Amino acid sequence: MAILELEAVEKSFPSRGGPAMLAMDRITLSVRDGEFLSILGPSGCGKSTLLQIAAGLMPPTAGTVRVAGRRISAPPPEAVYVFQQYGRSLLPWRTVRDNVAFAVEHRAGVSKGQAREAADIQLAAVGLTGFGDHFPWQLSGGMQQRVALARALAAEPKIMLLDEPFSAVDALTRLDLHRLMLELWEKRGLTVVLVTHDVEEAVALSDRVALLTKRPSTIARIVETGLPRPRDAVEVRETPRFLELRHELLDALLTRHAPGGAHAA
Amino acid sequence: MRPEKLLRLLPGLLFLALLIAALEWAVNAGVIRRALMPPPSAIWDVLSDLVASGEVLGPLTSTLRLVFIGFAIGSGIGIALGTAMAWWAPAYRLLEPLVEMVRPLPKSALVPPLMLFLGIGDTMKITSVALAVTFPVLVNTLQGVRGVDRVLLDAARTHGWGTARALRYVVLPAALPFILAGMRTSLGLALIIAVLSEMLTGQGGLGFLILDMQRSFLIRQMYAWLVILALVGLALNALFAWAEARALHWQTRNL
Repeated sequence: MAILELEAVEKSFPSRGGPAMLAMDRITLSVRDGEFLSILGPSGCGKSTLLQIAAGLMPPTAGTVRVAGRRISAPPPEAVYVFQQYGRSLLPWRTVRDNVAFAVEHRAGVSKGQAREAADIQLAAVGLTGFGDHFPWQLSGGMQQRVALARALAAEPKIMLLDEPFSAVDALTRLDLHRLMLELWEKRGLTVVLVTHDVEEAVALSDRVALLTKRPSTIARIVETGLPRPRDAVEVRETPRFLELRHELLDALLTRHAPGGAHAA
Repeated sequence: MRPEKLLRLLPGLLFLALLIAALEWAVNAGVIRRALMPPPSAIWDVLSDLVASGEVLGPLTSTLRLVFIGFAIGSGIGIALGTAMAWWAPAYRLLEPLVEMVRPLPKSALVPPLMLFLGIGDTMKITSVALAVTFPVLVNTLQGVRGVDRVLLDAARTHGWGTARALRYVVLPAALPFILAGMRTSLGLALIIAVLSEMLTGQGGLGFLILDMQRSFLIRQMYAWLVILALVGLALNALFAWAEARALHWQTRNL
């Protein structure tokens, strides 16, 4: 059953003096309830734009977005968006605990105390027990991204939309966060849509990988990873199926960059 | 006060003391005419009398009252209008020409016409102060609110925060460093306009006394009130700096 559906979604941006620039051409994608889906594409292909449209943060130029069967035009309560720029998405004047409480404190019938309690539970879930009284800027990048994840979890969403959340941290921290993300996804029955340009990350975490073309982007193909669950985000990288998928997707990405060349994107 | 801070202040304080001593000598030696400038020690005597007798309190509270009330009203209006203009394009298009027209005008020039409408009482003085305070706060709030990171706003939206709450709990705190910078500028203006309106209306307060003493040839008294005014300015700035540091404690990451 689909919990998030994009139907013929188009996005174009006004360009100076010329016709509008088409960034996204009739993208149709259906995300199944409870799956972990990655959207993989080269830099600048509009992956984040697509995710923001799915989150109701940006209106599409054409097409519709449905969440749990309802057509949305604003951020739906079922979905929470986690930003790539964790440092900019946290409130610097609030402690870590109050940043997480931000997800629920405005809801009817939730007291400040209850919101803080909920925050502490989520902080424990992401391994940040004892850091509630710190300010975000006192933590490392990886820890700040954990705070952002805890905040998203506190909202108790059905769908988490992750915009390259692991791209700005070092490689070891990234693996750590991958493990955490898989654990959270398994425990909580979340639906996750992850936008990334990292092939290994997409394959290691996902049930399905949707490959985007460069602009105007469309979905080139959708690959079922078929990797076993539950899986370990590190060990899975040594399986033949992982290597096969990595090869296939890298190949597709690099070819699609041509004729501009396969230079660093 | 920490010893390092005292050490940092020391050269400036010594220089000030040296200047006062030089002034004392110059007046006593006849380099400066006594009729224009009494020796600092004589000013000090008048000053301590004013304080000891409690005579200083009436004019002081009268002026401070104008400053505080006018500052509060002007800041409130500036923050409200600046936020509205930054957030809502029709408000910006409606108010921008008016703001650009009135903003560069020295607000001291508005005191005479305001006297026509509001008389010479506190209403006029407070209105004058509030007007002077409004514009720097408004312009800074406008910039601050406009500059709030889109990511923060989207974070509020994806977590289901409505516009009003997002404004109160996300936008205003994020814009606070700008707003407070505007308020710091305005605090100085508030004191200037308060003193000027007191001078023009002749109903008491520090500004009135400075002018009145000069006209009555009570030169030592004039200087004593002037010193009091300088101390008021110093104290207001110190108070504001303290409040600002508390409100922006989270900015210490910039250290």
